[in-house]
Amino acid sequence: MLVEAGHFALALALGLSLIQFVVPLWGARANDPVLMAVAPTSALAVLACIAFSFLALTFAYVNSDFSVLNVVQNSHSAKPLIYKISGVWGNHEGSMLLWVLILALFGGVVALARNSIPMRLQANTLAVQASITIAFLLFILTTSNPFTRVIPALPEGQDLNPLLQDPGLAIHPPLLYIGYVGFSISFAFACAALIDGRIDAVWARIVRPWTLGAWAFLTLGIAMGSYWAYYELGWGGWWFWDPVENASLMPWLAGTALMHSTVVMEKRDALKVWTILLAILTFSLSLLGTFLVRSGVLTSVHSFAVDPERGTFILGILILFIGGSLALFAWRAPMLKQGGLFAPVSREGALVLNNLFLATACATVFIGTLYPLALEVLTGEKISVGAPFFNFTFLPLIVPLLLLLPLGQTLAWKRGNFLGTAQRLYAVFGIALLATLAMLAFQHGGPVAAPLGIGLGIYLVLGSINEIVTRSWSRGAPLPVAWRKARGLPRSAWGTSIAHAGVGLTVIGIAATAWGVEAIGSLRPGERLGAGDYEVRLEQVTPRIEANYREDVAVLTVLGAGRELGTIETMKRLYVTRGMPTTEAGILTTGLGQVYASIGEVQADGSIGMRLYHKPLVLLIWIGSLVMAAGGTLSLTDRRLRIGAPARAKVAPPVAVPAE
Amino acid sequence: MTRKQRRLTLIGIAGCVLAVALGLVLYAMNDTIVFFNSPADIQAKNVQPGTRIRLGGLVKEGSVQRNSDQQITFEVMDAQAAIQVSYKGLLPDLFREGQGVVAEGVLVSPSVFRADSVLAKHDENYMPREVADTLKKQGHWQGEANASPKTQ
Amino acid sequence: MVIWVILLAMTAAAVMAVLWPLSRHYAVTRQADPDTQFYREQIAEIDRDQARGVLLPSEAEAAKAEAARRLLRATGPHHGHFAAVGEPALRRRRAASTLALSIIPILALATYEIYGSPQMLSGPPAAQMPQQAGNVDLMTAVAQIESHLAKNPQDGRGWEVIAPVYMRMGRIDDAVKAYGAAVRYLPPDADRFASYGEALVLAKDGLVSGEAQQAFEQAVKLDAASPRARFYLARAAVQDGQIEKAKAAYAELLSTSPADAPWVGAVQQELASLGAPQAATGPAGEPRIGPEAIAGMVAGLASRLEAQGGTAEEWARLMRSYAVLGQRDKAMAAARRAREALAQDNAALKTIDTMAQELKLTDAQP
Repeated sequence: MLVEAGHFALALALGLSLIQFVVPLWGARANDPVLMAVAPTSALAVLACIAFSFLALTFAYVNSDFSVLNVVQNSHSAKPLIYKISGVWGNHEGSMLLWVLILALFGGVVALARNSIPMRLQANTLAVQASITIAFLLFILTTSNPFTRVIPALPEGQDLNPLLQDPGLAIHPPLLYIGYVGFSISFAFACAALIDGRIDAVWARIVRPWTLGAWAFLTLGIAMGSYWAYYELGWGGWWFWDPVENASLMPWLAGTALMHSTVVMEKRDALKVWTILLAILTFSLSLLGTFLVRSGVLTSVHSFAVDPERGTFILGILILFIGGSLALFAWRAPMLKQGGLFAPVSREGALVLNNLFLATACATVFIGTLYPLALEVLTGEKISVGAPFFNFTFLPLIVPLLLLLPLGQTLAWKRGNFLGTAQRLYAVFGIALLATLAMLAFQHGGPVAAPLGIGLGIYLVLGSINEIVTRSWSRGAPLPVAWRKARGLPRSAWGTSIAHAGVGLTVIGIAATAWGVEAIGSLRPGERLGAGDYEVRLEQVTPRIEANYREDVAVLTVLGAGRELGTIETMKRLYVTRGMPTTEAGILTTGLGQVYASIGEVQADGSIGMRLYHKPLVLLIWIGSLVMAAGGTLSLTDRRLRIGAPARAKVAPPVAVPAE
Repeated sequence: MTRKQRRLTLIGIAGCVLAVALGLVLYAMNDTIVFFNSPADIQAKNVQPGTRIRLGGLVKEGSVQRNSDQQITFEVMDAQAAIQVSYKGLLPDLFREGQGVVAEGVLVSPSVFRADSVLAKHDENYMPREVADTLKKQGHWQGEANASPKTQ
Repeated sequence: MVIWVILLAMTAAAVMAVLWPLSRHYAVTRQADPDTQFYREQIAEIDRDQARGVLLPSEAEAAKAEAARRLLRATGPHHGHFAAVGEPALRRRRAASTLALSIIPILALATYEIYGSPQMLSGPPAAQMPQQAGNVDLMTAVAQIESHLAKNPQDGRGWEVIAPVYMRMGRIDDAVKAYGAAVRYLPPDADRFASYGEALVLAKDGLVSGEAQQAFEQAVKLDAASPRARFYLARAAVQDGQIEKAKAAYAELLSTSPADAPWVGAVQQELASLGAPQAATGPAGEPRIGPEAIAGMVAGLASRLEAQGGTAEEWARLMRSYAVLGQRDKAMAAARRAREALAQDNAALKTIDTMAQELKLTDAQP
């Protein structure tokens, strides 16, 4: 009964969205506040309906209601509760429902932020948002309905893909979707500005927190997905340039660019048209990502859905929204008032460079991801574009960006002094250079990439610290004063520095992978296998039985410099219900590095295959991402940005006393 | 600097970056892209030894040999041809004889292939897409539908 | 009944969410204009920054000048008056209300009618519960046996216990594995081989594979009377085109079975489906099939699908056969049965629906 009510709520949300689309647009056109006021209430009602619908499905999962097809296909009554809940979005239908839920959630938050967003902008934005909701509700209802019933109910479900029964994957999709879908708000704001034909710094200030929030979540989502692939797939890799990963990287790159260009727009009232275009492109790339993952055009690790009907539908949505918004852009953008130009050597000039590099890098990822698909469709020739392509095209565009980052961060707005700025970074650059040279000297002919990359990372981290220090401390000033000044710096300044330091940490982690060592061998109990400074000794291989799988467990003792560091277990599992084998890696963390062992097959002679890695500093890759997201969140809490956020909607900012 | 000069500087820099990016992409397209071939394709297209390719097909039953030190050899075949593959490392969980597989590596001679990575299907329903397409083309693939029953 | 009230209330609440702002006498309290407010704040902030010493006085002066310039621009003429009063506004309001009152309920009900399962609403929800409870017990039992077998994979008895359970749950492939293990680890037994063979046949959608045939032959070797094995061997003969041999085998099976044996009907139908005309011309010639023979074949197919289930194509074939024979009610019944049997298979349901539409069995919707 609840399930049917949930299904009905979804249908109701469709009707409401249609109203939310039509009436506010009309109201904005006629300049009628009564019609525009429909936007927030209907957005909230849509949110209530979709949330109810989602809860109904979750309820069906938790209660193992096997009269619901979706539950039958993806759940099992013996499954732990957390995977019953995460099973809701561990499949195509449920994940699309989560997608629209998050869409509606953002709509609801915009609706609540009514005191900080001009009414016309809010009405138009919510109308655009509703059009996206309509498209995806139709998609769900017609092709991917999670509420399809099975009559009579079945006795038992088919269980969730074991690879997905993992805490990492339980939270990965929601994070990623909040990021993806969060950019829909920037998109809706951009379209609203185009419809209204008016855009200014206020717009930028309103849009920035949304972009920042979406970006922070997307960062977390990508990092989480990468760590999941690292420990679950058993290959020890953390980024495969797989099309599905690229699908999330592209909106991230464009979103990063957007985040920076809105700053320019807010501070200097420039880059307006470009920012609008970027907002449209970012969400278009999010949609493209959804299409790539959900349509089954790529069959890769992540694709759970293969159905041409769905693919065509999403392609339709894709063309409608990308084409529609770009057409709107082409029509209205020339009417927008142009912003001012500015000096090339200035903070805004540096941010333009940032945008240029990020957008170009994003374009190369785009080409590398879509070219094979296009080629196959056009000529039938099958090619694969892998890591070599991306390393060759992406890195040369990102490295100069990173080199310029501390400089740009230090430059003043409007008219910067390049030499003066460079002077402030002499020390930073010197230390990084010394560290690089020291590493090169010490490693005796190891890979050159590692010291260079780590040097770059150090330069970024120190550059960020330097930025805070030089802004709060001048030579000779007493420390308490400097401390007070540093605390007085706006949170967005701190957030910027922290996020940039996070970039540096990630760069260090990535560069250090060049120092990684890999060894493959077959071991009998008591035998050893060494990788770099570390060794493992195979103690025993024992079978073990758990509720829904059985496994062979290899117990290994990790030895470093002759000392025992601990034991790890790596398993080969067989999930009984699906007859599906998986490999679980054994990981021992030593400082920031990890020793990673992965079991192979049992050989005829009783030995087992073993793959062993030592990965120094590998954790920095994800720690850096967390720091980046933390920096973004800190910026988000900046009082000056919060007028765009709903939490403050009721309370007027205490400092916002009109000047007169 | 005048307004015009500023604009020109900006356009100039953007042009340079884009040109560099384009050059990189075009160069990488020539150099790093790997073509997918089935054993029959290798014969038909006369792929030169030393070329990096992705090889896809079925693992021939009974052809998998495990030597010491994780060195593995097996044969990948399609309807028309077979090719010997050597690989050092751990095979993926779902690597089975008679099942689809994609190996990436270098063609040593027209009948020997040295793989540096081997991918198999990821769950029981998944056949590597390229392999399925090739087999379908050769008429050896029945898809999900089983052979229709002959009882009537 | 309650549920309809709930759905109605939900619809009413949704409509209200739209009507409420439309009905309000919109007090046109002009929002504090956010644009100008923004720049005022910016100026105030510059002052604060300067007071804290973060900005140099000259920088602050320049920044303030620019903000003030923009403030002037923002207070310019583009802020028209809101058009909230007057006749056109009233008309718009009425039109929007009508739109909301009509679109929301109609669209929601129509969509739900097409994609939802309203018949699930009226059904007594309690009816499923005891069945579910029983299933849970069964499931825990299965899970226990599975984990026991995982530990002792050579326990043939365990495999034999779980195999028929798998069969009933529709997990045919698992049943095949289980029977296979039982056959391997337990002493040879005709019945076991026959069950193994039967599972193999079901796994191949009714086709008696070589492997299955071997299993049946084993069964017959152990117990020449095994009716199941002989039945399927006869069917294998049909598949091989040896109609005469099959007929002889069926006839013999019939003659040695007690008249009330449960398989007699099935054997008779199989025999009927190998009707006389076909036997007369032989498999090589062009068979001339009389209407009785067709009816017999259809009945055979029906009973087999009823007894053992089958693929969507087979069900569709059955529906078409009935339709061709003019037995529309039976065709509809077959469609209904097919939907029940194939409920967990979307693609199969689609096949059935397509066939139902093709045959215009529209009132056969569940």
